[in-house]
Amino acid sequence: MAANADLSRYDAEVEKLAAWRARSRRVRYTIYFLIAALIAWSVEAIVVGDTDWSRITWASMLDTAKRFMAVDFTIFTNLLLPALETVLMATLGTLVGLVLAVPVAWLGAMNISPLGKATYGIGRLLMTLSRSVHEIVWGLIFVAAVGLGALAGVLAMGVRSIGFISKTVAEAIEDVNPGPVEAMRAVGANRFQILLFGILPQVIPVFVGNVIFEWDVNIRRSTIMGLVGAGGLGLALHRQMAAYNYGGIATVIIVILLLIIAGEIISYYARKAVI
Amino acid sequence: MQVKDLRVSYTAGREILKGVSFDVAADDFLAIIGPSGAGKSTLIRCVNRLVEPTGGAIVFGGRDLLKLSEAEMRHERRNIGMIFQEFNLIERLSVIDNVLTGRLGYTGTWRSLFRMYTKEDIRNAVRLLDRVGLIEHLDKRADKLSGGQRQRVGIARALIQNPKMLLIDEPTSSLDPKIAREVMGLIREIACEFRVPVLCNIHDVDLALEFCTRVIGLQDGVKRFDGPPAEIDKHVLADIYAMEVL
Amino acid sequence: MSVATTSQTRALPEWRRFRFPQSLYKYGAVIGALAFIYWSLEMLRIDVERLPGMLGRMGEVLSERYWPPAVSHVLEAGYLQAVIDTFQMSYVATVVGMLIAIPLAWFGAYNMTPSRRFLYPVARVIVMTCRSVHEMIWTIVIVAIVGFGMLPGTLAMTLFCIGFAGKLLSEAVEAIRVGPVEAIRASGANEFQVFVFAVLPQVRVAWTGIAIYTWDVVFRAATVVGFFGAGGMGHFLRESVQRVESNQVAAILLSIVVIVMIAELVSAWIRSRIAGAIA
Repeated sequence: MAANADLSRYDAEVEKLAAWRARSRRVRYTIYFLIAALIAWSVEAIVVGDTDWSRITWASMLDTAKRFMAVDFTIFTNLLLPALETVLMATLGTLVGLVLAVPVAWLGAMNISPLGKATYGIGRLLMTLSRSVHEIVWGLIFVAAVGLGALAGVLAMGVRSIGFISKTVAEAIEDVNPGPVEAMRAVGANRFQILLFGILPQVIPVFVGNVIFEWDVNIRRSTIMGLVGAGGLGLALHRQMAAYNYGGIATVIIVILLLIIAGEIISYYARKAVI
Repeated sequence: MQVKDLRVSYTAGREILKGVSFDVAADDFLAIIGPSGAGKSTLIRCVNRLVEPTGGAIVFGGRDLLKLSEAEMRHERRNIGMIFQEFNLIERLSVIDNVLTGRLGYTGTWRSLFRMYTKEDIRNAVRLLDRVGLIEHLDKRADKLSGGQRQRVGIARALIQNPKMLLIDEPTSSLDPKIAREVMGLIREIACEFRVPVLCNIHDVDLALEFCTRVIGLQDGVKRFDGPPAEIDKHVLADIYAMEVL
Repeated sequence: MSVATTSQTRALPEWRRFRFPQSLYKYGAVIGALAFIYWSLEMLRIDVERLPGMLGRMGEVLSERYWPPAVSHVLEAGYLQAVIDTFQMSYVATVVGMLIAIPLAWFGAYNMTPSRRFLYPVARVIVMTCRSVHEMIWTIVIVAIVGFGMLPGTLAMTLFCIGFAGKLLSEAVEAIRVGPVEAIRASGANEFQVFVFAVLPQVRVAWTGIAIYTWDVVFRAATVVGFFGAGGMGHFLRESVQRVESNQVAAILLSIVVIVMIAELVSAWIRSRIAGAIA
């Protein structure tokens, strides 16, 4: 180890470094401060401005929690049919989404979009629209359009599913291996034939995998569709809520959880089998 | 340091090291050569227990490293510097910050969270970067450097630990031949300067013969040769590499 | 020469796309799928014959009852305040949720977890639970416990955020390179220091992107939690639906769609900026 006197010739470097560090730290702390200020403003509105703390007591919360604990197994058998409906709604919704996603993916994949930039933009817009609107909103829109019932739920989930499926498929199409496409072009295939034989076979695994994934997600969505007037377990939940039957609500939630876990397991193995 | 009957096997039951023993003297620059898959990397990683051996002993500074608890081992790792094949720098940090990570073992958890190293450490880092010839690149991000420069940062990072021993894992195989020679030369110089023994695995036999004071030949988890470079000839190599050379 | 003659004399096997067992499976699967769809429609009491008419009438219903949207309704001060409320709920929920999700993501990443026996499964179960239950169900339960308002909405969104971000964050951790981890560990650093110096620098960009994306998703959900009694724009939606003020409903739904699209575009823009600035 060299003597300290020898080290002093690096002091200028060290000072420079310390100054640079202090500067970058200031920038960072300014950002943290802004985040914290925004938090303070929001928390103030939520916790002080909007919450009536006199009505929330430990006793009242414990009381409610206790009522949730009284799970009502007597209605369990009544929930089996709605559970089946929920799964069927999710499945049909996924099928609708799958069918609708194909043209959207076709529009939204840069390399095969029929009219270039213009149709590509439309495709992308449809994807964003489908994905960024919450399923509850889609549910309300379709309940308004086709009335109460499972159909509204199926359509809502179908439209909600377009975004994810078509976006991932469009991305897969965009990085398709150009080899087979060239080969198809070389044998004199037309555009549709290239799509069918050069691109489609490469995209199918992605497509199927994502459809299965979306089915799993749709089961989750399907459980709440009934809350806005489509059928299934959501409707049962809605009825228990209307009756203030907390034990019943808890029971429905347990059934929903079981259903979701089952869906997740099935989709996990189905995806494994496909990919 | 003494390594006695070191054994490692993975869960599949395959034995990687089948009882390797050797000593490292205080002034050794020890090269481990051998074909790929012989267990060179595993051997090096056993010393600071990045890989957990299944048997044997490694005595370092009078203590058996394999008997230390996790916390004690963490403490002991501060005394063992390591240089890697792929440099293993933290690419998003600046060069000097990368060097300073070598002091983490000496820095408290909270201080390290805010990167509050002592002035002494910072001065040392600057000095070492000067020593390895990177003083101009102090503030650059590590991923902006070339391979040879990155390996120099890796060397400085190992040195700032004040190691009592250096472990070096294929220091040159990610570098082109000219740079590799420079880097080996630098390591050699530094090892003399800091008086640390070096345990270095290297697949390039010529480099090993040129820079090292002692060579261990490893094949399939078994030591086949242990001696000075002068004793290595075609037959020895043929034995270590199991005819590969011939 | 001899090869050529034998191949001429031997009868070539006839090739058909589908031979006996496979063709049966193929057609069977198609018929099965159609039967399943038919049965599902029956079960769900969706009347297939009325379907075309119904879809045709969709436009009519929308244009007669919902058009024109009562735009003035969504420009009232109360509604604009609700938009701000929605933003505040989503913001607090995202920040708090991320602060909780980050340690969970660390513990729940198999390669980096400090303890595979204990912390790993615990973190995974917490994230899984938050994820499995739909955010609207969280909202309903929490509204029942703490009453109406922004607080239950924020809490529910926080749980949603933990589930949503927790998984993505730990997937990012599982994709890191181990080299730097080894290097930091070799210098004698403890697990926390390994996390800060070897993991964080590698995932910082990905995590920032995930955080912004999560806010975007949380905001989308926050626009509707009010429908179940938890403050924000959804509250107005509920009132208009209950009063059957269709034109107001249309205006609110449209405003939600527009605001959420704007949020998505802003978030995508920030994410691309960050990726560009740091890379």
